[in-house]
Amino acid sequence: MIVPVRPTAPALVLLPALALLPVLIVVLNGAHGGGAEILGSFVVGAVSPSMDPALLKALLIGLQVTVATALTGWSCSLVLGVLLGCLSSERLWLTWSLPAWPAIVLRRLMALPRSIHELIWGLLLLQVLGLHPWVAVMAILLPYSCLIARVWRDQLQSLDPSRLQAILQTGSSPMAACMTALSPAMGSVLVSYGGYRLECALRSATLLGVFGLGGLGMDLELSLKSLQFHELWSGLWLLTLVTIALEQGLRCWRSWGEQAQFGQRQAMGFAVAVGLSGGLGGLWLAHLFPEAGSLNWLPVQWPDLHSLQLAAQELPWLSMLWETLILTVLAAGIAIGLPPLLLLLNPARPWQHCISGFWILVRVIPPPLAVLLLLLSNQPTLAIGALALGLHNSGVMGRLLQEGLEQQDHSAQVALTSSGASPQVGWLYGSLSPRSPSHLAYGAYRSDVILRETVVVGLIGGSGLGWQLLESLSSFHWAAVLLLITTYAALTLIGEWLSDRSRQHWLQS
Amino acid sequence: MTALLELDEVRVAGPYGDRLNAVTFRLQNGERIALLGRSGAGKSSLIGVLNGSLTPAAGHARFQGMAIASLSRRQRARIGTLWQDLRLIEELSIGQNVNAGALGRRRLPWALANLLFRVDAEASRSCLREAGLEESLLADTGLDRSVGQLSGGQRQRVALARLFRQQPDLMLADEPLASLDPAIAAEVLERLLTSEADGKLRGGAQAVVVSLHRPELIDRFDRVLGLRAGRLVIDAPASAVSVDDLRDLYAP
Ligand SMILES: Nc1ncnc2c1ncn2[C@@H]1O[C@H](COP(=O)(O)OP(=O)(O)OP(=O)(O)O)[C@@H](O)[C@H]1O
Ligand SMILES: [Mg+2]
Repeated sequence: MIVPVRPTAPALVLLPALALLPVLIVVLNGAHGGGAEILGSFVVGAVSPSMDPALLKALLIGLQVTVATALTGWSCSLVLGVLLGCLSSERLWLTWSLPAWPAIVLRRLMALPRSIHELIWGLLLLQVLGLHPWVAVMAILLPYSCLIARVWRDQLQSLDPSRLQAILQTGSSPMAACMTALSPAMGSVLVSYGGYRLECALRSATLLGVFGLGGLGMDLELSLKSLQFHELWSGLWLLTLVTIALEQGLRCWRSWGEQAQFGQRQAMGFAVAVGLSGGLGGLWLAHLFPEAGSLNWLPVQWPDLHSLQLAAQELPWLSMLWETLILTVLAAGIAIGLPPLLLLLNPARPWQHCISGFWILVRVIPPPLAVLLLLLSNQPTLAIGALALGLHNSGVMGRLLQEGLEQQDHSAQVALTSSGASPQVGWLYGSLSPRSPSHLAYGAYRSDVILRETVVVGLIGGSGLGWQLLESLSSFHWAAVLLLITTYAALTLIGEWLSDRSRQHWLQS
Repeated sequence: MTALLELDEVRVAGPYGDRLNAVTFRLQNGERIALLGRSGAGKSSLIGVLNGSLTPAAGHARFQGMAIASLSRRQRARIGTLWQDLRLIEELSIGQNVNAGALGRRRLPWALANLLFRVDAEASRSCLREAGLEESLLADTGLDRSVGQLSGGQRQRVALARLFRQQPDLMLADEPLASLDPAIAAEVLERLLTSEADGKLRGGAQAVVVSLHRPELIDRFDRVLGLRAGRLVIDAPASAVSVDDLRDLYAP
């Protein structure tokens, strides 16, 4: 007899993949006649990218803009984020025998910039400051520094305070005590989290380009819109190369730091690299845009109370929120469930390599580009947005899952296969099970990111808050923009709280 | 008649020299074998060769006449192992872990169902009872408990139940008595060695190999294999093994 129980770890990791069912049904139903042909020529473009020298030159310039933007935005946000993180840690204020309330106030203040996606910041700053290479940098800087500050502060607070107290008791100055007691642990946080943020910054800089803020993203979008798939792939392959180089470089740096004697040197070297890349990136941008000039505020008409009230009545709140929620849930389901599902299909080595290649590609292609591509062959539906967003994020989750699986102990899998279990089942029970809690914990964090990110697929009509926001921005309807941004912020703060709680649940169990 | 198990000049290489060298022996149906040797002598390595998780660098290892390395899934399911480190799956419940023993006979859908539902509860319950798990854990709510919350002795029994659930022809047990108190150890050994009326062991097995560090228990077995630095130095009926042999086996 079969009795239902609470599904256990490896099943919980696979169940979210059910989100693929409704999404694929809608997408396949919505496909129209010429769709297959267009997708076909997109695939053909992958194996025959254009090698036209003039095009490659233009792409290389675009790539430089993107990389310089990412580097500058990343290093500035890391410096600022670490500083803000220290300032918002109650423990450090108390170490200097100061009252802790400024830390709490600062932490509350940072919630707003953090909760708004860099794309929204980019488009807003574009309206306020005009087109300028530093607009994209600032769009990355604002949310990133607050995100980094939060992680930094949480890490500081979670360290065991006894060591710090022991050193303070010897009469050492607070500064020296903090450096001695906290820096070893924080050094490794800096390297691993800081490195991860650089990868994110590269993705963000590309994405901002797609929305017209300059760089390779802009070239990609133009090629796609003019159906020049060979050109599109030249750009995508360039971006793939840079992404692989960056990820491998960071991986080497991390594994170098894991050897104990290099730990401190690695963190110091990293800090120096952060400083250098900030300076270099800034100079690089100045070199790429010699006529950029200084930043100037453009006049903006702030909305008054009356127009806010009007806008609040006009906006379709219920459907907007509902669509955003559905989009988030479906995309998160795909992002969490697809990686283990694909690995389960065939645990053999060659297939696993194919899949890691697939994940690099979906990480590299910005979701709005995927949406544009799908729209060429499909009706605009929420499912397209969910698919694009879910696939992109499954690229991030899939890589992490595979890295985790590689480092894991395989003895349970060996035990199962030696008792006759198939390689698939042995992998499912013996390897995926132990990995499940951390995959789910990361999935909780990723869902929060996806909620924030729903705006990037807002090109699709009727895709919730993101669409409304992009529409209002392009029609300079500032009252609606203000309301929508506030709603987005409130929503992502709730999402953040929920995801924190479920992450803790999975990490404890 | 072909032997149940046949090892011929088996050598297993390791990073610091051979883990096993020139090991040759045969095992017939109905035999109960004690595997003795100092720590690091190669007991776990030999068990690994017998269940196919280690491939010999030289020599032949055959089960029912077929090379162990190339056994099909179904044939591999005929050999069951109680691992020294148990190798339970911490994230799964007691019942699911016991059912994992049956995965060699089942396909993916059943494996998935076992993760979602309480499948074949009666079968796992009776195996757990055979393995001697206390009754309070045999209720449905007990079967659903995660193995992460069990004591060392209880975990051992769950692993033993998984072995019984597999219903192998050959049972291999790697130090099943370590970390158990003497009374429980004697009882667990009893469960591994007692034959039923039809001459078969629990779960229908034909033969059993038990590695252990307790020479005083060898009279419970039919035959003794003694390993020393990867070589087989004793292969004799239990009654023929003298105290001197054992002293030599354990001498530094
Ligand atoms: N995974 C492994 N890789 C390489 N060498 C190993 C491995 N496991 C064990 N060895 C080596 O093989 C030799 C035999 O080890 P084995 O585990 O078979 O001994 P054992 O008799 O089971 O010891 P114990 O009673 O401590 O369990 C030892 O020298 C050990 O260092
Ligand atoms: Mg051993």
